[in-house]
Amino acid sequence: MNIISLVNTIPEVFASVEDLNSEVWRQQIQLEKGCNYLFEANSGTGKSSLLSYLYGFRRDYQGQILFDDVDISSFNIKKWTDIRKKTLSLLWQELRLFPELTAWENVVIKNNITKFQNKKTIETWFEQLGIDDKREAIVDKMSFGQQQRVALIRALCQPFDFIMVDEPISHLDSMNADVMAEIISAEAKRQGAAVIVTSIGKRLELQYDHIFKL
Amino acid sequence: MSLIWKLLRQHISIPQFVGFFFANVIGMAIILLGIQFYNDMNAVYSSEDSFMREDYMIVNKEVSMLNSIFGNDNTFSQEEIDNIKEQPFVEKMGVFTPSQFVVKAGFDIQGVARFSTDLFFESVPDDFVDVDKEGWIFNPEDNTIPIIIPKYYLDLYNFGFAQSRNMPAMTEGILEAIKIDITARGNQDEQIYKGHIFGFSNRINTILVPQKFLEYANKRFAEKQENKVVRVIMQVDNPTDENIKTFLEDHKYVTDEDKLDASKTNYLLKVVLSIVLLVGLIISVLAFFILMLSIYLLVEKNSEKLQNLMIIGYSPAKVARPYQILTVILNVIVALIAVMLVFFMRKWYMNLFENFFPNMEVPSFMPTWIMVIGICIFFSVINFFVIKRKVLSVWAKK
Repeated sequence: MNIISLVNTIPEVFASVEDLNSEVWRQQIQLEKGCNYLFEANSGTGKSSLLSYLYGFRRDYQGQILFDDVDISSFNIKKWTDIRKKTLSLLWQELRLFPELTAWENVVIKNNITKFQNKKTIETWFEQLGIDDKREAIVDKMSFGQQQRVALIRALCQPFDFIMVDEPISHLDSMNADVMAEIISAEAKRQGAAVIVTSIGKRLELQYDHIFKL
Repeated sequence: MSLIWKLLRQHISIPQFVGFFFANVIGMAIILLGIQFYNDMNAVYSSEDSFMREDYMIVNKEVSMLNSIFGNDNTFSQEEIDNIKEQPFVEKMGVFTPSQFVVKAGFDIQGVARFSTDLFFESVPDDFVDVDKEGWIFNPEDNTIPIIIPKYYLDLYNFGFAQSRNMPAMTEGILEAIKIDITARGNQDEQIYKGHIFGFSNRINTILVPQKFLEYANKRFAEKQENKVVRVIMQVDNPTDENIKTFLEDHKYVTDEDKLDASKTNYLLKVVLSIVLLVGLIISVLAFFILMLSIYLLVEKNSEKLQNLMIIGYSPAKVARPYQILTVILNVIVALIAVMLVFFMRKWYMNLFENFFPNMEVPSFMPTWIMVIGICIFFSVINFFVIKRKVLSVWAKK
């Protein structure tokens, strides 16, 4: 997939709002593979909703979202499962890890279906992100900042054209945030993929091609 | 153990599964035992007397003093036959054809004694004679006639005649091997046939030969052709039907009471077994619902995990699979235990049967296998689709 297009898209809850001042909603925008995008917003402006729409998780919007000119509302379950394995990766704001599994298991459960990363790479990421000693720890017992790093590694265990990260560094110090930015941009570059970042304050330090104000 | 199973087995309720397990074992065992028992009972019945089906009845007119004195005959008129045929409880009806010529039969026993007697024959349409049709034929070119005689003829000889004359008793096998000379005479014609005992019947009190033989012989030897019907045979749908009894009484017809009793027993057995099967089925269906409810609760409680699995790229089919496999394994274990139970219970009652009927062949265990495989597949397929649907509903949930 090379291009994601939003055509007059707007969440249904905003549909009745007349004077919406947004660079995204009710606009025509295109996101291209290989570029970096930042969506900046105050909370409650529909940033996580946007990512949910793009990920096929929610459909409560008006207007159109197109993947390479195909309206995503026509996709069936099989297609979405495929997209989530091969085309789109999402690091959720609420992480959506499995609290009863260990950090390592949370990553492996994803890599098991994609068979994309080797063990060595995953181990290196654990080291780089400073959670090497937490590999066998139950996720439920880890801090949110540590969990964010586990979720990132999981998000990287698949091929993608677009990787979307929803406030990925909200609970990280700046050093870890920089490591995360490095790992994401390196992996995105290796795959020729686009990075879509959202932020309400602290932003992930990348070379952004475009910054949208929601 | 796979990670996905590690996640999805959370919240499995062991008590619920144990409940399902025992309920279903009991229900399944009852169903299987009922079917197997019915099959075994049928084998017992047919080994006893396979010549007449149990739902056949032989009807004749009452022989009374008045008939005898005034010479009223006890034949059925055509209207009477038609009337019987039209009764709602009659499924099929046939008339007995009597021999209308002189029959003499004779045979030697081990060169010791020569028996010779006047005889008569009767026949009924072939489809009322429930025998292996092979051998139950008459061919004018080949002069042999198969004969079915009442079993008590043999008893009469063995326990009456042979006893009083110091003669050897005879088995069915010996008698079946004896060739009987049958002389048919009449219409200035005579012919000697070779007869042989084809079988013995408890239920039919006449000397039965193939219909084809009598049709042929009556034509050839009878002085005058007349179709006097003194007995009719009918197939009824339910021998315990009160209407049959009333009808027979109203018209002063009689039938073999024993026959009615045997039929009643068999009919009652069927009714009881149907009830037992129904109870088994209800228990099984309830057990099935316990399992379904249990799985529903499981999916409900684990819906967040299921959803997150699908979010990271697991297909609904893949996350449904552990639960589907779980139910199939449970069903198979239940089925095997039920089969084992039935196997041992059957062993016990078959010992009893064999005491009563030493000659009976042990029927196959196949009905149980067929049934258990059928039920297992049926329940598993429903489980499979219900779980899939439930998981898909999690996909749609936000």
